Amino acid sequence: MAPRVTAATTEPSSEGQSTPPIHRRINPELVPGLMVLVCAIVLIAASKLMNPGAGFTQELAAVLGTSIFLVVASFGQGLTILLGGIDLSIGVVIGIAAMMISVLTDGRDATLPWAVPVTLAVGAAIGVVNGVGIALAKVPPFIMTLASGITFYGAGLGFTSGLAQEPVAPALERLMNGHWFGVPIPIFLIIAFVIAATVFQNGTSVGRKLYAIGSSPGAARVLGLPIGGLTVLAYTLSGLCAAIAGLFLAGYSSAATLDMGGPLLLPTIAAVVIGGASVMGGRGIYLGTFAGALFLSALETIITVLSLSQGLRDIIEGAIIVGALLAQGERWNWFRR
Amino acid sequence: MRIAERLRRLQISAGAAVAVLLYVLMYLVYAANESGVLSQFGITNLLNDTVVLAVAAAGLTLTVLTAEFDLSGIGVIAIANVVVATTSAGPAGWLVSLFGVLAIGAAVGLLNGWLVGVLRMQSLAVTIGTMIACEGVALLILAAPGGQVADSIANGLTGDLLGLPVAALIILGVLLLWFLLAVTRLGIALYAVGTDETAARLSGLAVRRTKLLAFVLAGMAYGLAGYMLSAQTGSGDPRASDGFLLFMYASVAIGGTSLMGGRGGVFGSVIGAGILTVMQKMLFALGAASFYTDVFSGLIMLVAILIGTLPRVMPRLRRSVA
Repeated sequence: MAPRVTAATTEPSSEGQSTPPIHRRINPELVPGLMVLVCAIVLIAASKLMNPGAGFTQELAAVLGTSIFLVVASFGQGLTILLGGIDLSIGVVIGIAAMMISVLTDGRDATLPWAVPVTLAVGAAIGVVNGVGIALAKVPPFIMTLASGITFYGAGLGFTSGLAQEPVAPALERLMNGHWFGVPIPIFLIIAFVIAATVFQNGTSVGRKLYAIGSSPGAARVLGLPIGGLTVLAYTLSGLCAAIAGLFLAGYSSAATLDMGGPLLLPTIAAVVIGGASVMGGRGIYLGTFAGALFLSALETIITVLSLSQGLRDIIEGAIIVGALLAQGERWNWFRR
Repeated sequence: MRIAERLRRLQISAGAAVAVLLYVLMYLVYAANESGVLSQFGITNLLNDTVVLAVAAAGLTLTVLTAEFDLSGIGVIAIANVVVATTSAGPAGWLVSLFGVLAIGAAVGLLNGWLVGVLRMQSLAVTIGTMIACEGVALLILAAPGGQVADSIANGLTGDLLGLPVAALIILGVLLLWFLLAVTRLGIALYAVGTDETAARLSGLAVRRTKLLAFVLAGMAYGLAGYMLSAQTGSGDPRASDGFLLFMYASVAIGGTSLMGGRGGVFGSVIGAGILTVMQKMLFALGAASFYTDVFSGLIMLVAILIGTLPRVMPRLRRSVA
């Protein structure tokens, strides 16, 4: 890292030069993501050192497989943060989706063809409610999604009358725990999801409009962008992604509780910010968020491997999150110079 | 000085006024449906249930006013709770453990304030990190629920003093400190920094120091909240505060403080905490199933926000009509 610092600080300006230094040829949006990705790989390698019994690929597969929930849910979170908003209902939507799929299927595969769309539609509908409240009623996103999360959690509690667990359709369990060609199926799902998400966010006009709104709402309004519609769209996608994560989580753990999404909420925010996004909006790409999600999942896995008390694990995890953000901040400063 | 001007001076926003009305309304419904609410015991009881959330929300408000997030509160409350549960019954006693938790809160606040105010990191993510680390520290001190809170705390702080509930005295004390703070340079700087950081810096305010102090004071409030929580429960539980975070933010929001910073105040947040508490009791008295509490918390938050924004939207509407 050190040589790069000096390169960035000693060169006054690269604008007049024909070949900019290497660190300026890389898309600056990509840098935080790349750096976090490297950190995640280092973490996975470190876990191999600590646990020599397991192979590197095995370890990688384990981390990747369990990261799918965060990878999927943090895409939605990333879209709302891109707009300068936030979605605090994600944890609740994950729990509701997991509960719905297990209640609707009741351990039978035959009901999946309609149970899955219904569950996803409910997740998206909660997103629509959030989006409408934010775009039309002008409720601040933090409040709107916090309030809707609490409200829908209460509604979910009422519907399930406190029932904790239900059987999940076996097909869903096979999807999350099975292998194709010796590779866990979730890894294929992750690859497909990352490609689709990146194309949507950085390759379509809708994605670019979201950046425009996030970086300057005023300019976006002058340009005549449909701000209200796009805001609703972002929160709808966030609800949809959370519902997908809920389906996966229910399949993975072969059971569902209404609370199971709660622990994922704050990590989705951390993943997005560690990945280089600004909570003020308009900055960050999905690959960064993806790297952040991998990093956090790897961290979680490795810390679990260490036979430490839960207290020490939490302290290390918190410190590493702060450390990752600290490194991120430095990075940004170098590139702004 | 006109009355509205006076109210503005005390930083009581329109949102807070709405919150007071809501509180009175729910309190009346609660009193009408449950016997003994208006007795001294009933009032003490209600305030005891309010004080933890009220003090925590009061601290959170300071950081929210500067347009920063602080999610570390539940971590500090957890540490304070287990520290009181492990030390207060021993030689440390109630006073030393009180100063202990205040110091711990200030230390965590200092760390947050340094990371956010001085190193300019994104508070939303940084305080997630410090919150997780604090919960880890709490688990190290006390791995499982247990411990013993000194009787002087458990009985002394939940009873009455000179005929007044101690919880009421603490809430009044926090409000008094807030009103004193609000007229100092620091209090005014909190609003200025939250409204427009660049403008505040250009007009010579010490933005870094303001944010740092906001986090430190918030941390001390969380410490006090944890102390009061220990008095309530009489024992330590490193996970006791896990569900608090959303309700702390809900209290601040219901009380009319803008999460964009620069608008609102501690008074509203204390009322917001009161609303959330009295609402639970009211619904219980009305015989509603417990999950309605969550549904209502969310809806009341939205209603309070929508009504609170009306005064700001109204002049614009009138102007657009004219």
